[in-house]
Amino acid sequence: MSAARIDPYAASAEHPGIRFLYRLNPLAKLGAPLPAMVLLIFTRDLAIPLSFIVLALLIVLVGAQLTRPIALLLLLGLPTVVAVMSFSFGLWSDASRVDHSVLLFQIGDYRFFLGALLLGFATALRLASLLVLALIGGLTSTGPELVRAMIQQLHVPYRIGYTALAAYRFVPRFGHELDVIRSAHRVRGMAQGRGPVASVRRSLGYVVPLLAGAIRHAERVALAMDSRAFGAHPQRTERTIIPFRTRDWVFMILFWLVSASIVWWGLTAGPGPVGGAAIG
Amino acid sequence: MIDDASCPTGAPGTPASTAATIVDQVRIQHDERTEWTPDGVSFDVGRGEVVLLLGPSGSGKSTLALAINGLVPQAVPARLEGSVVTAGLDTSTSTVAALSAHVSMVFQDPDAQIVTGSVLDEVCFGPENLLLAPGEVLERAERALRQVGLWGRRAENPDRLSGGGRQRLAIACALAMGSELLVLDEPTANLDPAGIEEVYSALRDLVGSGTHAVLLVEHNLDAAIDLVDRVVVIDGHGRLAFDGPTREILLGHLEELIAMGVWLPVATLAALRLRDAGIALPIIPLTPAELATALDPLELPERPAVHPPDAMARTVAVTVDRLSVARGRGKQRSTILHEVSLEIGRGDFLAVVGTNGAGKTTLVQAIAGVVPPPRGRVDIGGVDPGRSDVRTLAATIGFVFQNPEHQFITHTVHDELAHGLRIRGADDAETERRVSHMLDRFGLGSMREVHPFLLSGGQKRRLSVGTALIAGAPVIVLDEPTFGQDRERANELLDLLSALNAQGTTVIVVTHDMQLVAEHASHVAVMAAGRLLAHDTAATILADDALIERAGLRQPPLARAMRALERHPEWRTIARLADLPSVAALDDPPARSTDTDSR
Repeated sequence: MSAARIDPYAASAEHPGIRFLYRLNPLAKLGAPLPAMVLLIFTRDLAIPLSFIVLALLIVLVGAQLTRPIALLLLLGLPTVVAVMSFSFGLWSDASRVDHSVLLFQIGDYRFFLGALLLGFATALRLASLLVLALIGGLTSTGPELVRAMIQQLHVPYRIGYTALAAYRFVPRFGHELDVIRSAHRVRGMAQGRGPVASVRRSLGYVVPLLAGAIRHAERVALAMDSRAFGAHPQRTERTIIPFRTRDWVFMILFWLVSASIVWWGLTAGPGPVGGAAIG
Repeated sequence: MIDDASCPTGAPGTPASTAATIVDQVRIQHDERTEWTPDGVSFDVGRGEVVLLLGPSGSGKSTLALAINGLVPQAVPARLEGSVVTAGLDTSTSTVAALSAHVSMVFQDPDAQIVTGSVLDEVCFGPENLLLAPGEVLERAERALRQVGLWGRRAENPDRLSGGGRQRLAIACALAMGSELLVLDEPTANLDPAGIEEVYSALRDLVGSGTHAVLLVEHNLDAAIDLVDRVVVIDGHGRLAFDGPTREILLGHLEELIAMGVWLPVATLAALRLRDAGIALPIIPLTPAELATALDPLELPERPAVHPPDAMARTVAVTVDRLSVARGRGKQRSTILHEVSLEIGRGDFLAVVGTNGAGKTTLVQAIAGVVPPPRGRVDIGGVDPGRSDVRTLAATIGFVFQNPEHQFITHTVHDELAHGLRIRGADDAETERRVSHMLDRFGLGSMREVHPFLLSGGQKRRLSVGTALIAGAPVIVLDEPTFGQDRERANELLDLLSALNAQGTTVIVVTHDMQLVAEHASHVAVMAAGRLLAHDTAATILADDALIERAGLRQPPLARAMRALERHPEWRTIARLADLPSVAALDDPPARSTDTDSR
């Protein structure tokens, strides 16, 4: 009997050769962008997040098989969101701390400076770069793969990993149950009225039936798992080995090196932080 | 012989070494309860034997089932006295995990037994926990999946299987544990007729191979009875009543079992009714086939006269006119109901039947305004649920959800009933009067100040019916009211609905329990794939085998028996017990027609 042939999670081989992300360990895809993500939280300029967005998009476009909606979302949706966020973050930013040299528009006493827009842009880019970096692993690994890798390489106790997987199955069930409870309460005329107060009162009414259902369901799942020897031994058989191979190290180290170069270049040769003297 | 079999000390002379499990003087008390159920029960299950555990609800059958692999008392907080020895291991000292290699469980709710994301992973989950080598895990998984006919679907997400398919998957998971004993606790209570058939056909193959002992808790005796070697009966106090071969126990103690509240096969009940009417069968049958064989050679009287329905008096309670319902957005948007039109007569007891996903619930939710229908498509005595406010709706049509807990919105039983009146602005005296009346009527008088969530299952159900009716709605809709319930509670509810119906309330019930349809419904609407296939009197629908087949349903057991009669063509259309001749029927013909050619 060939184990590989019938295992649905061995199906990654179906992806054509260039889609290399599917052949990497989920932990490598998580670990590679991690230092960059931490650094990005502290950056204040435009060039570093922009470079990481370009890098991550390139990796995802080459290495992952994107469905049309996801590709559209990345290539059109992301710039739109960044534009909207730049403007709105710009409105929020403290006008006294931005560069006052270029006035974009004025409404009454309120003056919107280019410096504020750039500050908003920097924040929006930072968030966008974090998102795209997370997508490298997010788009190309499944929940079970990640759990298996965490158990096999990080030695996370399997009791936690598999319980999390089981809990993951609850989500759509509760979504459906919430819908039913909502219509039940609505048709009985619960907490009529509009506005935030009525809405909060309504939501509180959903909590008890939803929790009662959730606890009962969780108890049943726990009994079913116990009956199937869950937790019998300190280890359980891993039928699917998620290896951490040389290629995973290569990917991670290359990514770290590129990350370090981008940050070093951004800090020394780049245009520098927004809002500082470098602009203007 | 019967005396011997019913001896409460268990099957005589069974050597302990051949038993898959030995239950000895077991009493179980759940934490925070005072009563012991079961209370001093002893029996054993021999290797390769199929034992059915019977008893009224509350007798502790499910608790006992959980004790066989040690979940009681190890995972469920409870006290256990006496002993359960499974495969030579005492379940109070061996862990559930250690016992799981010898006894495996299948529970009622298929959704609560799935852990992983594919059929194959699911079956492998248990053997992997047992730390078997990967090759062995896969070998077991393949064998188990082939045995239940799911090997071809191993790569799929379990969510894509039907209810029957998911329950067969649960059986495969149990088989893969490699145990010699299988315990099944109400395995078909959540399934539609096709699903029940699937599960029992898989179990029949398994029992036929003789490899496993089976302990079955099941109310649906019509599906299970031909599999069973022996029955063990526990009475309402949790004590062992009978233990012995199926036929001897069921037929030798009929009256006691009925008095105890144990549900019997419909074929047996039919034979009892016929016996009372002076038609003595040579044997008391357990299955539809046996009933037909026993009945056919007899000389049978004419069927009792049936009166055609009073076509003149029929007025319309609900009109549905070309109702279509779509759900979802964009590409996900799909039409769930296609141009359904029907007229529901005042005082009808309408059963909406169909397989899972046929659109039954969507139809009744639209009728009752739970999900508002497009305007102008539904009319309930001049009220359009598509544009009515909640107050008007509450006085027009009541809706009872599948799970009564979903619709409770207050903190006491009293307030729960009063709510429907208060939102309509009824004064306190009037509210009090009607709430007290409703409490008495539904036997909830002593529960006035109790939180609705703390009621028993049957009480919750009665309260939800009360809240649906309190504002004076002449039409009540129930979504799968018997889903996941035992027979006794289901019957209690249906008797209540029949009484309401007799007093003039129009009742609409979504169900896939065909015997329930046959016994209680005056009319049936058959749904399949979002369309209304037929809407007619229950008798007409049940007489149409092709229609029932097309809708993916099955004939109820009594109808199946009567279809097989060769010498009595006029009896072939009987589908419900009430249509069989009885002592009472001779001078008191049934009020409602069930004759096929009555329209």
